[in-house]
Amino acid sequence: MTALAIRMARQVRDRINMPASFFVAIALFALFALTVPRFATSGNAENVLRVASILCVVACGQAIVLILGGIEFSFGSSVALASIVTVLVVPDYGVMGGFAAGAAVVLLIGVLNGALIARFHLPPFIVTLGMLMAVAGLAATLAGGLPIDAPPSEAFSWPARGRVLGVPVPVIAAGASVGTLFLVLAYSTIGRLWYLVGANPEAARLSGIRVRTTIFLGYLAASAFCALAAIILTSRVGSGQPSLAPNLPFETIAACAIGGIPLAGGQGRASQVLCGVLIIAMMNNAVVLLNFPVAYQQLMIGAVILGSVLLQKSSGSIGVLWRSSVPKRGGR
Amino acid sequence: MTSRVFIPHLGGRFLVAPLCLAMAVVFFGGAAPEFLSLGNLQNIATQMWLLALLSIGQMFAIASRGFDISVGATAALASTAAALGANAFGLPGLLAGPIAGLAVGTLNGALVGVAGIQPIVATLGTLIAVRGIALLLTDDGQVVPLVDAAAAARMSFNPVLGLPLAYWAAILLVCLAALILNRSVIGRRIVMLGSNPEAVRLVGIGYARTQIRAYQLCSLYAGFAGVLLTLRAGTGLPTEGAGMELQAIAAAVIGGTALSGGVARVVPVVLGAAFIQALLTGLNLQGVSPFVAQIAVGLVIIGSGLLEYAIRHFFPVEHRSWT
Amino acid sequence: MTAPPLLTMTGIAKHYGATCALRDASLRLYPGRVHALLGENGAGKSTLVKMIVGVVRPDGGTITFGDAAVAFRTVRDAVAAGIIPIYQHLSLFPQLTILENLSAFAFGATRDLRASSATLSIEQARAWLSSVGLERDPMTLVEEISIGERQLVEIARGLGQACKVLILDEPTAALTQDETERLFTVVRSLCAQGTAVLFISHKFDEIDSIADDVTILRDGRTVVDGAPIRSLTRDELVRAMLGEAVATGSRELPPPGDVLVEARGLRLHATAEPIDMGIRAGEIVGLAGLVGSGALDIASALAGATPVASGTLLVAGDVIPFGDRHTASKKGIGYVPSDRHLQGLFPVLTAMQNASASSLKVISRRGVVREQAESDRLLPWLRRLKLHPLKTELPAASFSGGNQQKLLMARNLALPGLRVLVVLEPTRGVDIAARETIHQAIIEAALKGVAVLLASSDLDEIEALSHRILVVRQGRISQELPRGTARGALVSALAERDAA
Repeated sequence: MTALAIRMARQVRDRINMPASFFVAIALFALFALTVPRFATSGNAENVLRVASILCVVACGQAIVLILGGIEFSFGSSVALASIVTVLVVPDYGVMGGFAAGAAVVLLIGVLNGALIARFHLPPFIVTLGMLMAVAGLAATLAGGLPIDAPPSEAFSWPARGRVLGVPVPVIAAGASVGTLFLVLAYSTIGRLWYLVGANPEAARLSGIRVRTTIFLGYLAASAFCALAAIILTSRVGSGQPSLAPNLPFETIAACAIGGIPLAGGQGRASQVLCGVLIIAMMNNAVVLLNFPVAYQQLMIGAVILGSVLLQKSSGSIGVLWRSSVPKRGGR
Repeated sequence: MTSRVFIPHLGGRFLVAPLCLAMAVVFFGGAAPEFLSLGNLQNIATQMWLLALLSIGQMFAIASRGFDISVGATAALASTAAALGANAFGLPGLLAGPIAGLAVGTLNGALVGVAGIQPIVATLGTLIAVRGIALLLTDDGQVVPLVDAAAAARMSFNPVLGLPLAYWAAILLVCLAALILNRSVIGRRIVMLGSNPEAVRLVGIGYARTQIRAYQLCSLYAGFAGVLLTLRAGTGLPTEGAGMELQAIAAAVIGGTALSGGVARVVPVVLGAAFIQALLTGLNLQGVSPFVAQIAVGLVIIGSGLLEYAIRHFFPVEHRSWT
Repeated sequence: MTAPPLLTMTGIAKHYGATCALRDASLRLYPGRVHALLGENGAGKSTLVKMIVGVVRPDGGTITFGDAAVAFRTVRDAVAAGIIPIYQHLSLFPQLTILENLSAFAFGATRDLRASSATLSIEQARAWLSSVGLERDPMTLVEEISIGERQLVEIARGLGQACKVLILDEPTAALTQDETERLFTVVRSLCAQGTAVLFISHKFDEIDSIADDVTILRDGRTVVDGAPIRSLTRDELVRAMLGEAVATGSRELPPPGDVLVEARGLRLHATAEPIDMGIRAGEIVGLAGLVGSGALDIASALAGATPVASGTLLVAGDVIPFGDRHTASKKGIGYVPSDRHLQGLFPVLTAMQNASASSLKVISRRGVVREQAESDRLLPWLRRLKLHPLKTELPAASFSGGNQQKLLMARNLALPGLRVLVVLEPTRGVDIAARETIHQAIIEAALKGVAVLLASSDLDEIEALSHRILVVRQGRISQELPRGTARGALVSALAERDAA
């Protein structure tokens, strides 16, 4: 029994296998804790986590798409459309109905993306970019270009402001998302299929794998994470907004990249998503605490994205061991 | 004879932009005759150059098998720099715009070509940072009015030979881009890089250097677009350009630039930009809200992808030697 | 060998991290002589070549060219000095014209801004092409010509440069015999003008016919240093490469059973002649054909990997759609594709994940991959195939070519309900020991009643393993030869002209 437990523990440890970005996150935390006043307080920690939670949930979805060798831009406007649909539906069908409708919209966009990319072999870049613009237009048209307020209610604000056992609901959602992503990627068959298809779609096809279905399910799963985030986000702003989170796709890609997920596909782990998200969240938070003007905030965030990706590129020793031995194609 | 323009076989994909443009003209002309009025056509013809310059820049990046999502922000920074430069040194100071662009391009190129970072991540990082710099230069996003606004207005509104000076400059830049792409060694190296990135080093072409050139050209053209923006508005606009990168990518793709690299032509890309501009203007004339126009542009982007699928599907390249 | 050597490399060493690609390698090239470089995969040949042309820099040792010590920093420097490489992996630009590809080195070297100054004239390009026997319009795009023709363009590009040292890295892999002969004629005439040639190949026949001297690398060391080729027998060459002799003999094959897989009226193209063929259980059928003959296309069609114009594919009476690998593998058709890197391998994933890719159904339960079941199923196969190192958690890309091929074999041998095994070029670019192991595994599969279709350009392999040999020419089966057919008859069947 204990042997089994030890083996399980070892397995889990091997899978989590600290990514290089983990050390970046730790270093950043230490730096901010020493230099930024009020950074290392429990109140601020909760604040960081709460702000990071939405990014975290969506980044989990982005990670799946990146593992598949794709990319997903449409998150940015699908959450906006979801918020508007939610607010429009709430008066007639209640809060639950509203959230369900919002989530359904996001899933529908995921289905569309997946179908176009899997069925027609279209570049994900083009499809999701087009979808981003088209859906943004649709959201603005529906809302007439202006935010629509939702009737305030306890239930409506629960996903963003509620607490379970003292823990904010968004943080629980983020934790659940990362946990789910970890389990799916590490243990499930579909996770394995995503890795295989992302690493070499042609080899996957010739191995008898249904590549199209696998890709489709990947985009669907990604949109499921996005749907969860859309509910929390809508609840937080309490309104339907046509430009709710325009930078969400870029932030999630940045989070995954900072975490160390290569955009070439076939690689990526849940722990990397978590580290990437935490790095971005700590950065944002520190910049706000230091009361830097917006200009510096943007400069610093841009620099951190580039810096941490550069760092991972150059650090052959820590954490990236299992990638460092991969030779360039063309060599023997 | 050795120019790339005359190579047969790549034809199909470059016909898309002219066809789309013709369809848009016929459609909007039929729906609203005033679309075809001289004034409106002139309007489109002057408005499209901003997008055209950005798209041509984007074309260089895509031809090298990358892309650049920072062009909108770069244009805004260049617009600001040009305005500040012109205020300090008179009209020649406008060149601060392209210089700023070149600097951003060098950084992008180095990140992609030397450091080996994925183009999307590299240009995303510069996108955010460049926006920050533009804000920094302008006291958190205040516009920078040109001191000599009259001269700027002359350049961008007073026709010389039918077109304002600024647009002649834009056309000149387009011709220059065609020369670079088709007739210059740099253009040839960029296309080779996009066609087979692993082989360029093996034939003695500097990989990193060529990559840097591609992104420099991309941002340089974004810089020129920024100058145009400044001349037209009479002010430097540090927060302009968001969303323009997506339209630029769309125009480049509709213009037949292959996302897989190695295939590009200038004129179709300009026509792609003209198409998108016609679409936006035409829908506007129809009294359709700009949001719907946005939907249309999105669908056009997806459509351009479907088109690549159709080309691949119905005109596959045959390799079998025994047929 | 009176002239001094043109290029001398001594005591060359190169490390990649912990692995040592070269320890103590030396090489001397003389003007006017063809020098063969032999060695198993991983012996360090490619690294040595990359050093000569400046892609890789040595950690130790010296390179002298002419009288001076050199260290080329880029290919451009090497080309400028007259060292011209012709690569094994195609380094052409598919979306560019033949003309532009022929001018590629000039585009790298020129300091002029205008492309026209670096581009060849059409007439010159035609001359270069005809020197290798390729009659093509130089304005044709490279993506429109066949693989063999591309290799010729690549060779023409190298031969067109002003060259003192010509490096041919396995140039004949994609060439027909005629094309190879023509290449050799050109090489000999270059030699007569005083060019030093470095020739890398796995084909002993070619080495016999073209090389003057031979250097053999084993494990990063030079073990035979510039010996005249006539002074060594083929056995001695192989022994020097391997360090020991490996027996290669004819093999015992199992008796075949009933017809298991059948193709009826198979047309790869609407205009092609229909093909009918069947393979019995336990039978190994060799599909022999020159490059571009269509042998590989027929084999991959039978595996359900590619769509065809018309025809029926039957496995034990069940109809299987063409071009649907999912159904085909469910029905027990295993497929080892010809291009290991593009079609077979998941380079960034672990060896185990590579091997188990076709067995996910049986090793997972309720959507969860059971790692115990996975290793229970695959590890025995990997052991039997002597995967080295037997570290299944390493990424596939870190294994040598032969061991990567073993991963693909394991994937298919472990296929649930394996009944038919289609193998394409199973030992291309694989060292001799791995080749033996893979051959043994194919025969064992046949012993268990699997119907095997083997398509290979390696005639030794076809002869050693096949019950019968189908000769493919121009997309159809032109002849069927029994086991034990003399090599001469087989070669003439392959090379036969249409008119005959």
